[in-house]
Formats: sequence, structure tokens, C-alpha cells
Amino acid sequence: MTELLQNLIDGLGRGSIYALLALGVAVIFGVMHLLNFAHGELITVSGYVAFWTISEGWSWYLVTPVIIGTAIVTSLVIERVAFSRVRGSSDFTLLLTSFGVHFVVSAIFLLYVSASVKTFSEPGWVANTFPVGSLNIEVYDAVVIGVTLVTLLATSWLIQRTMFGLALRAAAADFDTARLMGVRSDTVIRGAFALSGLLAGIAGVFWLMRSGHTTPTVGITPMLKGVLAALIGGLGSLRGAVLGGIVLGLAEVLLRSRLPDSVASLTEGFVFLMIALLFIFRPQGLIRVAHAERV
Amino acid sequence: MAEPRGPNAAHAGMFPNLRRDVAFPIVGVGLLFGVFVAVGLLYQNSFGGAGERLVTTAMINAIIVLGIQIYVGNTGVLSFGHIGFGAIAGYTFAIFAIAPAEKIKRIPDAPLGLTDVDMGSWGAVGVAIAVTVVVAVFVGIGLARSGAESGAVAATVITLALLFVTHEVARHWPELTGGERAGLSFRIGGKLDTRVPIYLALAGALVLARLFAQSRRGRLAKAGREDDLAARAMGVNPMVQQMIALLTSVAVVSVGASLKVYETGSLLPEDFFFFFTLLTLTMLIVGGRNSVTGALFGVAVITVGRELARRMGQDGFEVFGLGLDSEPLDWIFRENLQTVFLGVAMLGFMIWRPKGLLSDWEFDDWLYRRFTRTQSAPPVPQATMSDENEARLEVSNVSVVFGGFQALSQSGFEVSSGEVVGIIGPNGAGKTTMLNVITGLVPATSGQVRLNGKELIGTPSHEVARAGLVRTFQNLRLFGSLTVRENVEVTRLVAIAEHDDRSTPETDVLVAAAGLWDHRDRRASELDYGNSRRLELARAAAARPLFLLLDEPTSGMSDTESLAMVEQVQTMAALVGAGVVVIDHDLDFIIGICDRIYCLDRGSVIASGTPVEIQADPAVQAAYLGSSAS
Amino acid sequence: MLEVSRLTTRYGAISALRDAGLRVGSGEVVGLIGPNGAGKTTLLGSIAGLLSPAAGSVTFEGTDITGSSPEKLLRLGVALVPEHRRIFGDLTVEENLKIGGITQSREERAELLDEMGEQFPVLREKRTVAAGYLSGGESQQLAIARALMSKPRLLMMDEPSLGLAPVLVNVVFELIETLRNQGRTLLVVEQNATRMLEVADRAYVLRSGEIVAEGTGAELRERPDLFDTFVGGNGQ
Repeated sequence: MTELLQNLIDGLGRGSIYALLALGVAVIFGVMHLLNFAHGELITVSGYVAFWTISEGWSWYLVTPVIIGTAIVTSLVIERVAFSRVRGSSDFTLLLTSFGVHFVVSAIFLLYVSASVKTFSEPGWVANTFPVGSLNIEVYDAVVIGVTLVTLLATSWLIQRTMFGLALRAAAADFDTARLMGVRSDTVIRGAFALSGLLAGIAGVFWLMRSGHTTPTVGITPMLKGVLAALIGGLGSLRGAVLGGIVLGLAEVLLRSRLPDSVASLTEGFVFLMIALLFIFRPQGLIRVAHAERV
Repeated sequence: MAEPRGPNAAHAGMFPNLRRDVAFPIVGVGLLFGVFVAVGLLYQNSFGGAGERLVTTAMINAIIVLGIQIYVGNTGVLSFGHIGFGAIAGYTFAIFAIAPAEKIKRIPDAPLGLTDVDMGSWGAVGVAIAVTVVVAVFVGIGLARSGAESGAVAATVITLALLFVTHEVARHWPELTGGERAGLSFRIGGKLDTRVPIYLALAGALVLARLFAQSRRGRLAKAGREDDLAARAMGVNPMVQQMIALLTSVAVVSVGASLKVYETGSLLPEDFFFFFTLLTLTMLIVGGRNSVTGALFGVAVITVGRELARRMGQDGFEVFGLGLDSEPLDWIFRENLQTVFLGVAMLGFMIWRPKGLLSDWEFDDWLYRRFTRTQSAPPVPQATMSDENEARLEVSNVSVVFGGFQALSQSGFEVSSGEVVGIIGPNGAGKTTMLNVITGLVPATSGQVRLNGKELIGTPSHEVARAGLVRTFQNLRLFGSLTVRENVEVTRLVAIAEHDDRSTPETDVLVAAAGLWDHRDRRASELDYGNSRRLELARAAAARPLFLLLDEPTSGMSDTESLAMVEQVQTMAALVGAGVVVIDHDLDFIIGICDRIYCLDRGSVIASGTPVEIQADPAVQAAYLGSSAS
Repeated sequence: MLEVSRLTTRYGAISALRDAGLRVGSGEVVGLIGPNGAGKTTLLGSIAGLLSPAAGSVTFEGTDITGSSPEKLLRLGVALVPEHRRIFGDLTVEENLKIGGITQSREERAELLDEMGEQFPVLREKRTVAAGYLSGGESQQLAIARALMSKPRLLMMDEPSLGLAPVLVNVVFELIETLRNQGRTLLVVEQNATRMLEVADRAYVLRSGEIVAEGTGAELRERPDLFDTFVGGNGQ
């Protein structure tokens, strides 16, 4: 029982980060039908900024807003340089464009920084734990879960209660009609990229705090987690993305602790396998998004 | 032209036209192979050892890229997973090919006693293909379930997940794979003593890729690529075609991967991961993913470009022999420049030329057109055939509700072979919905659709088509990048497989009968409105349906064109012995062609009868012009 | 106010609209009628910026707006109620209206919301309901109200009576009359020609992508060949 609870909390912590990443992927998919394989690059760039600032002696309190800002700016720059040029293209083109962006960004770091791992110090409290009953809760997990909760609430407010959110939802439902109503496509798409960058920035802070290193390809894993979580939840559904993130985090932690030691290192493989099975039995993901085709 | 099933028809199941689909491709591909190899040999003679390695690698890459092309090119589904299949094949090959004495050093505890297996390279390639194909069957089922169609996003993510699963397993199962750092290596060869197996495999991959594209399977797959829904409506089940394309493609990739492992002499998880995926996909995209010639061309272009980038990265500008002081450009010419080069190439092509350099141009196709004297006179449709079997379609009490909106309520009609029945009514009356229900695209809330007494409600689209109900689309769903002839040929191939006992008119006869003879080799997407409509008609007729269901065949046509359409529909129907159900708003056309007419308004049949009766019916007039009394 | 001249629009190689010209004066209600597939929706789409015309020009109040984006046109005062209404089904009725008023200031938007509530009581009543649950007539009212939220000087409607029951068709035409009496400028595409000609000051008849007739409602109603033009006859 205790172990299960412990797992649930660990899984929730991990799932929270995935949820933030998945939400960013889903927001962009909603407005431009682009599954962004370059989403992880926001974390790659942030990672190097963290490395440079921390080696300059900055504290994590200062680095955090810088990372978030970096992620937002990077997201907007990528939109401007690459994705704005393929708006409305076929899905095939969109997918490969984001794949190409991923490589260009990571190759630039490979070229101009180095292929080697750059490490930086994590904040001291990351490994601390505090007891609650028989549980040992990591301060890190508590912070992640708390901040994610606040972020999700704020995002939900933004999307449900503001004119920008309304425009975003309208554009996701029917882009042409939204434009007929005066919704500016540039504003909505750039807003979506900024929001996506913000969410990735927050997730990135947590990710980097834990890992304490960056490489040119550090973004691949978070990208994959975000994309898979968004897909598990049902592409196009924001709630589904959050749910998918949590489910993915819980599945990973639970599997890892339940699998025999000899195959525990294959957890990720098993998770992918489960996702594949999910698709075979529920191709639309957990939350189905209505989709009609006129014949 | 009612040709009996003779020797010609026997192979028709596999290749529609032996000269065009087999002979020319083999010759064309042979020439391409010759050029590719010759250029390679020239290059390696001038650069020695390093050049030799480069050329060998390029050839192996070409095999793998051609393998990927078979799937991606014919189905339009973007796969990131083929390098994952490559990893499976590569590891299987290595584990079976390495001698036990070597394996003891790296993987002494391999499961299933694999450490002691000694099979030799040839056997190992066979096992690698077998294992990979078995995995591909499962992945293929997953892809089919996810609704894979051209450009499908979910399908692409599944393939990406496969790439990661294989990578994870390779990294974290050291007992089998030697793990992340050590990997597998073997001394047998380390490098192939002879390039003959590579030549053979490359030539084989080229021939297979080209023949697949020209075969019946390949053509059906391409129909699905162009328009999934229209393909189904013509009786093609794209899922089956995709699976076959996937298995063929994976088998070729397996051979390439085995060669790659053998040639490299070692195997690490990174060898078959993101970078290699980027490399192979960039090669495919740059040349043109829909063309075998393009894929090979892309391999050449990218190999050369990457090599230049590598050298510039090492030596700066010197490589051009210009002797420029390269210092100011040092910031560009660095090591790893090749990765940037690949990424930028992919991005640039996606933004400015997503179809690649050659798009879907094929060398052998060009040869064929050049060296085949085209028949100048259109074939004349000869004896029109009438079906001995009386067929009957009965649609009764069909209701459809979309989210509270009653699109059809208790509507129906009947039609027998030899008859032409019209359905008219204002916009939004439910005419197209009726066709959608009959062809299985929209589920009916209630009601029956019976063809010769057999209930069709709940039958998938492609089976409805095979049962004998084939439609056209109001908003034109042609297979855009296929030619006029190919559009007709695809459905004809379905018909041939389905109706062994009945002869199907030749493609050219159908094309000529539709008045498209002069446009026969143009792409469907280049046709104007009227010709597009005529092609829709010919394509549907080629399926040898019992009933042709035509959705607004004259929409957007001028008056003269509409009148000509009357005759065309009649000719087509008579040619294949089909009854006709036609929806249209053009009363002249409808009156000119129909034996009986049903008028729909707001989902219900408000009148039915002969054209004369319908014309005089006040309810019909009111429905069309809108009555102020209502 | 609106001047369209020699407008041609193509889909690929297909000309869906050829050399179409029309004019809408301030305060006029102009009808655009014609059979299915005649190019009516294409014409509206080309004016509203959803489609880019291959040739010709569109001028609104002296400004050339050919090929402008729909969001820019809306800010100039041209609004379109699209075919099939295209309301945002997952959004509430009020949210749909707010989207319509996205170009307005917060205060103005609130005022307009009240105004719409008065003019369309049913929308006020169902303001928190997801718009997908509205009936056909209600969603048509919502679509029109949503367009009015941008305070358009020219309101274009595409087939407002499409798919509605007869009673609701009456409601829609009464609404068009109300809007006319408010002095609004309307360009309405309709298939229900009889009703349209009753409320329109003038109308154009479109067939096979070309404008084949023009006149006041009364003039066109007197044309004996109208029924045939509509259903495709040549007057035989």
C-alpha cells in the first residue's frame, strides 16, 4: 500500500511534466494541425542557457525565469523561421518540417558548442525529502505537482476565460470561420506558439533541475514524451493531453517498480508497447475528438 | 471489346501491361543501376580507399532508401520507423551471423542459446528478413487500426514509437545486443571482400521497387494514397495494400540493414537511430519520395552534398581548390557541418519543394513514352454488353440524423438494371446523404439498402463497391497525381479480380468512350471541371458495377457540356451493362436521361414519377423556387 | 459601397466563377440567386477573402480589397455568415457571440451582447448552452447575430435558409426584412428565389459561374424563364 502510494506520487510528479509538454504539443496541433517534433528543442535551447547562466554563477531563482523566457522566444523564432512558411501544407510536409527543425537546432549546438555533455549544478533541495506518514515525499515532486497544478489552472483560465483563449478554441475548431469573425491567424498561431513555449519552459526548468545536464540531443526524450502523451490523450484535445501526460508518467513509474530487475531497464520499451496496444484497441486515444469529413 | 479471358488476362492480375509495367521498368532500372555504379567506380578510382568506402556506403544506403520508398512512396504514410525495422534486422543478422567463438566475448549469456548459433551470413540474412517481417505484421495491424492513410499523423507517431522501442531494447538488453557502448562486432570480413552481394541487392531492390509500383498491388496502394475515401468507394481496401507495401518494404530494408552491419563490421544502437533516419529520409525527400528514380537520385545528391559538407567542415574552403583564405568563414566550416546540411536540406525542401527534385518522374516511364508509338485513333467501343442477370437495388425507409438534424427521413427508391433513375431536389435536401448511406460512408439511423435482396447496411465501403454499387463524387475525388488512364486502370484492376466470369472493357475503350482520349496521359489534377466529371464517370464505370451512382455529374458544366453528358452516361452504362442512379440539379439533363425521377425535399421524397409527371408536379416547383405560401 | 468587377476564381484548373460583376449600394438588400453549383458560394468566398480570385477586382467603399484576408476585411466592415452557419458547436452561445465581437472593445462587446440578447431572445435564454445543441433555426439566428457583433457595414449571408423547416425559413426571411428595416446593407445568396426576390431590392442570377440576369425583385419575378434558369432548363 505504502509502496503504491509512493509510486503514485512519483508518477504524478513525472506525469505533471509530461502533461505540460503534451499540452504545448496539443495547443499547436489544435491551431495548425502540426505535430511538433521540434517541441523538445525548446528544452535543448533552455538547457544551454541554463548551463551558461549557472556557470556564470547565477542562482536557480534567477535562471528559472530566464529559461522560461528563452523557451517562449525560441518557440516564436522557430514559428517565424520555419513553420510560418508551411502553414496549410499537407500533414506529410508539416511532420517533416518539424523533424527538420529538430535536426537543425540540435546540429547547431553540435557544431557551435560541442557534442559533449555539459553539466551544471542542480538546486540543493532537489534531492531532499520530507516524510508524510509512512511516505517519503521528494520536495522536487511536491514542487512539480504544485507548480503544474497552478500552471494548468492558469492555462485553463487563459483558454476558458480570455478573448485570446476564446479565439484559440474557435480557431482550433474551424480556422476559416474564426478568420471570418475577425480572429487574426497570425495572432492566434503566434499566441499558441508562445503558450506552448511557456509550458515547455516550465517543464524544462523541472527537467533540467533534475537532470543537471544538457547535450545537443537532450530534447528528444521530452519531445517524445510530450508527443506520445498528447496522442494517448487524443490528438486535438487539451484535456486529453493533460490526462495523457499523467497516465504516461504513472505507467512508467508503476511499471518500473513492478517489473523484475532483469528487465526493469526496458521499462520504456514496455511503455511504448502498451501505447501501441492502446492504439490497436482505441485508435482515437483516450478522449475522442469529433471529426467529420464532407463527402 | 469483349475479350475472353485468355493468356493475356492471366497475368493481368499482377501487371496490367507487361511491356509498360515489366519490360521497360527492368530496362530502365538496369540503365539507372549502370549509371549509379559507373559514377561510383569513377569516383572511387580517383579517391582511393576513402572513396571506396563512400561508394559502398552509398550503395547500401540506396538499398535501404529504396526499401523505405516502397512504403512511403506508394502509401503516402510517413514512416520514421523503417530504421527501427533496420535495427531489428541488423541485430538479428549480427546475432545469427557472428561465429560462436566471437559471440562468447560480447554476449556469452544471450537468451535462447543464441550464443551458440552458427549460421553463416546467408542464412542470417534470411532469418533477419523473417524476424523483421513478422514484427512488421504486428506494426502493420497497429497502423491499420490507427486509420493510416496518406499523411496520417497517428500512423507516423506509431512508426516513431517503433524506432524508439527498438532503440531502447538495443540499449538496455546487453545480454542480447552487447548494449550501448560495446555493441556487437565481428571480424569475419569487417569489410566485404567483394561487392557482388551489394550489387545484387541494389539491383534487386531497384527492380522490386519499380515492379511493385507498377503492379496491381502498387497501383491500388497509390489509389489509397491519392484519396483514401475514393479508393474505398472504388472497391479498394487500402489497409490490405498498405500491409503488403509495408512487408515488401521491410524485407528490402532488412537486406540493406544486414549488408550495412556486415560492411561496418560492428553494431551499436546509435547506428540505426535518429541520425540514420534523418539521412535516409532526407535522401528520399530530396529526390522525390513518389519515384524510384527520385529515391536513387536523392541518395546520390545527398551523398555528394554530405561529403562536400564533411570536407568543408574539415578543410574549409580548400576543397574547391580555390585557395581562398578561409578564415573569415571558419565559423561555418566546422566538423559536423554535415548534420546541419541534412537538416537544412530537409527543411528547405519541405518549404520550397516538398515533392522533391524529380517529384514522381520515372526514367523508364519516360523511355516508354519515347519509344512506344502511341495509338493515334481512339478505340471504338464495340458490342455493348447487356447484363443477362437482372439486378435490383431497393432503398427503403432510410433515415439519417446528424446531431439533431434530420438529413433523411423514411426515404427510399428502387431501380432495376437497364433503368436510369434520377434523384432531384434543392440544396440540403439529402440527395448526397442518400448516396453516402448506400455506399457505406454514412451510417443510417434506420432503413434498408438491398441489392438483389442482399442487405448492404453496415457493409464497409469497399465491399459495397465490389458488390456492384460504385459512385462518383460531387466534389471530385480523383486520384490527382495519377494520369487519366491510370485512374481508370486502378478500378478496372479491381473489377478484373472481382468478376472473373465477365469481361471488362479495356482501359483505352473506357477512356475514349468518356471523351477523354486526348487527355489520356495527363494528370487528373490538371483536368478542367468538365473533363474531371467525365473521368469520375469513366473511373466508376471501369469497376463494372451493377449500378452507377452519379453525384451531380453536370455540376459546373455549361449547357452544351451537360447535354453531351447525357450521351456519355448512356454510353458508359451500356458499355458495362450497369443501371444508373443519378443526382443532379440540372433538369434538362435529368429529363433527357432518366426513365423515372424521385424528388427529395428536406430529407423526404415529395414526388416520384416519369419526367413529364415530375415537371408538372406543383410540389416540385415549390421545392425548387421556394414557395411563399409555405 | 461594394463593387465587384470581372471576378474570376479557379480551383486548380477549374474556373468556378467567370467574369462576375456586381454592385451593392449603401442600405440595399441584394440577392444572389441561382442553382446548385452555379458559383454563388465561390463568389461570396472570393469577396470575403476565403478564396483568392485569379482575376478581377473587389472594391469596398473606394478601397481595393481584392485578395485581402478575411480578418482584415472584417475590420473594414465586411462580414460573412457562411454556408451551413459554421457555428462553433463546442463553444457556448455567448462565446460564439463574443468571438463575433472580437474586434470590438470590451465595453462595446458587452453592449452588443445586450443588443443581440434583445433582438434574439432565444439566444439570451440559451446563452450558456453549447451552440451545438441549438436547433437549426436557433443556430441560424446565432450565426447572424455573431456576424452582427462586428458591427458590419456590409453583411453577406450564404444560403441562410438552407436545410431549415418551412416555418424556420419564414423566420429567417422575417429576420432579413428586419435587418433591412434597420437600414443595413445586405448581400444574400439564396436558393429560395421566390422568397428572396420578395425581400430584395435587386438581385443577380448566377448560372454556371456567370451572371446571367440582373434586376429588381419585381422585374425578375416577372421573368417567365426564371424557373427554367433555376432548374437548368433552356426555356423549352
